[in-house]
Amino acid sequence: MALRVNPDLSTDLLSSIQLSQSQQNAALQQIATGRRVNSLSDDPAASSAVMFNHAESAKADQYLSNINTMQGLFQVTDSTLSSAVNLMARAVQLAVQGANGTLNDSDRQAIAVEVSSLQQQMLSLSNLSYQGSYVFAGTNVHTQPFTLDPNSASGVAYNGNTNVNTVDLLNGQQMTTNVPGSQIFLNPAGSIFDALQNLLTALQTDANIGAASSTLQTAASQLYTQRVFYGNGLQQMESATTFLDQEKVEFSTQENSLVGADLAKVATNLSQAQASSSAVLTATGKILNRNNLFDFLK
Amino acid sequence: MGTLSASLNIALASLTANDGAIATTSNNIANVNTPGYARQIPQLQESAPILANGVAVGTGVTLGRPQTVRDNVLQLRISQEAQQGGQLDAFLSSMSQVQTLFNEASGTGLQQPLSAFFNSLQQLSTDPSNLSLRQGVISAGQNLANAFHQLSGGLSAQQQNLNLRVNQTAGQINELTTQIAQVNEQVGELVAAGQDANSFISQRDVLLGKLSNLIQVNQIDAGNGRVTLTTGEGTPLVVGGQSYDFTTRPDPANGLLQIYSQGTNITSQITAGELGGQLQVRDQQITSVLSKLDDIAFGISSSFNTQSQAGFDLNGAVGGNLFIPPPALVAGSANSFGMAITDPALIAASSDGTAGSNGNLNALVNLSTQGIVNGQTPLSYYSNLIFGIGNAISNATTEQTSVNLVSQQLANQRGALSGVSLDEEAASLVKFQQAYEASARVITIISDLTLAAVNLGKD
Repeated sequence: MALRVNPDLSTDLLSSIQLSQSQQNAALQQIATGRRVNSLSDDPAASSAVMFNHAESAKADQYLSNINTMQGLFQVTDSTLSSAVNLMARAVQLAVQGANGTLNDSDRQAIAVEVSSLQQQMLSLSNLSYQGSYVFAGTNVHTQPFTLDPNSASGVAYNGNTNVNTVDLLNGQQMTTNVPGSQIFLNPAGSIFDALQNLLTALQTDANIGAASSTLQTAASQLYTQRVFYGNGLQQMESATTFLDQEKVEFSTQENSLVGADLAKVATNLSQAQASSSAVLTATGKILNRNNLFDFLK
Repeated sequence: MGTLSASLNIALASLTANDGAIATTSNNIANVNTPGYARQIPQLQESAPILANGVAVGTGVTLGRPQTVRDNVLQLRISQEAQQGGQLDAFLSSMSQVQTLFNEASGTGLQQPLSAFFNSLQQLSTDPSNLSLRQGVISAGQNLANAFHQLSGGLSAQQQNLNLRVNQTAGQINELTTQIAQVNEQVGELVAAGQDANSFISQRDVLLGKLSNLIQVNQIDAGNGRVTLTTGEGTPLVVGGQSYDFTTRPDPANGLLQIYSQGTNITSQITAGELGGQLQVRDQQITSVLSKLDDIAFGISSSFNTQSQAGFDLNGAVGGNLFIPPPALVAGSANSFGMAITDPALIAASSDGTAGSNGNLNALVNLSTQGIVNGQTPLSYYSNLIFGIGNAISNATTEQTSVNLVSQQLANQRGALSGVSLDEEAASLVKFQQAYEASARVITIISDLTLAAVNLGKD
């Protein structure tokens, strides 16, 4: 006797229909979202990895936006220091001119007036403010860093501090964002304000003008050295930007390979699921309507 | 040597027997779509022959009690799979709601607000005295707090829903055990009286199938067709005609309903069936996710507060708490997470007391990549949390697929054994009909023969 089979096929048929429908739904969802992973359970490891990916990508965006802000600051500061360098060049010219023995008192006086004006301009440059903060005040950004002080050898008093800030450029790469004003304008290795004051006094008293001139040159080259910091900083930010842009491309490639749908494959899956669905439906229709022995009994 | 009247008796008995067989066949046909029905086979038996003059002479056919085609072991396997299937169904339907709260693939969950908060600090570090950037930190902190509240609130709501469902399921179990006890008693009485209990056994099988879907059931043969039902751990559910109801009482600690049977709390014993799945998600999964969320909230708020106190605010004063201090016992930290300050000037960005210093801010930013949540960074701790949820669901889905396949196979096996086939019944019907017609014909012939015998010698 043949093996008896389950006469009731409806459960098997219905579960086949359900299976092909759920395959169709899965493929449709992947096509609609463009993603292979649409919930944590679709691929727990990839979901976890893509979460880190989102976090790192958001961080890269923040780094880029920070760099954008810092670039503005660095450019303004760099061009301010460039003006200061020009002022110093003019002062050196004036010093050379003043050292000329053929000048009379009133000539020297005229030069002294211009040096005094340079001194004023330098003071104004040293008090550069960017978005409400003094740039050359160390971290004491809400107090004007340089004020006139007749009792001081440099003619100015420094009210800032010598602290610096650092900002993250990339994961694990920090950049110092400021040079304290005292290091730029009152550096013991060549103080701008001391040199200008020195020149002014020398011109006014017609003494040691040559020495004042050489001090001035030392200070000018010192200023030049300090300015390099900002130029370097801009370059560093430039290369960090390149790196971050690349990193962002990598993040999106990674995300795509982690959770993105392979559309060609999904489309194939969908048409397979549709084909199998219609086959199952046709078969079910036939089987449920099939004859049994009673149809042949009279 | 037989007689005409003996032949008549044989034909009559054959009519009755085939009539009975047709009735059984007809009953099979009537129950072709009845769930749990097991087909019956008419039992025709040759009647004991009698000895007449040393020759055995047949006395026809009798109809015995129909045989029911049922495999009790198979039935047991089906109910075991139903327990597992019920557990997985309940587990998956509630866990899939839990996972929608953490759908990181589509950007919901904790990562976005967490990153936004850390990044707002990062941004402030470029211009630490900038009030609008400071306001950005406060807003990002408030968004993070909202995210924590939303997640912990969503989880608690889900837990409460499950609590209601646990109560409903316990009620359903009570209804089923009451019905099973009644049917069980009827089976016992019929079997004891030597009668056919098939229809009641089928009914009990159907009820047992439903019960197995809700809870694990151990089935013990109690004799006389009765069964004794207990939970997996031996707590009685049905003994003879007596059913033992579950009662529910809230746990005073958390208000979650506990299952009691005869005064004993058996909640932790229930691991299978829908009730098992519901309890597993309510008491283990959600509780564990909530406590991990608390760990993250606690780690962030306590470490950021400590670091804030090491710095100075915009006014040069020593920093205070950035977040509301979390509960010391950690539990409830996610729910109570919030900003301690609303004044942006009070963010302790400075490490030297001046407005422009970002030293303490950098220290705060660095916390995001340090092991401030049970030794892990907030994001890696969180990634373990979401991996755990996804993995539990993915494993249960795989298991569900295989349980469904096994259940389907068992159902097919049961159908192959006990299911009614209309073809088979049609064939039987024709067979019995023909036998009936033939026997009727025999009676007509005997009647003719008797008439011939009576009329012998006439005319």
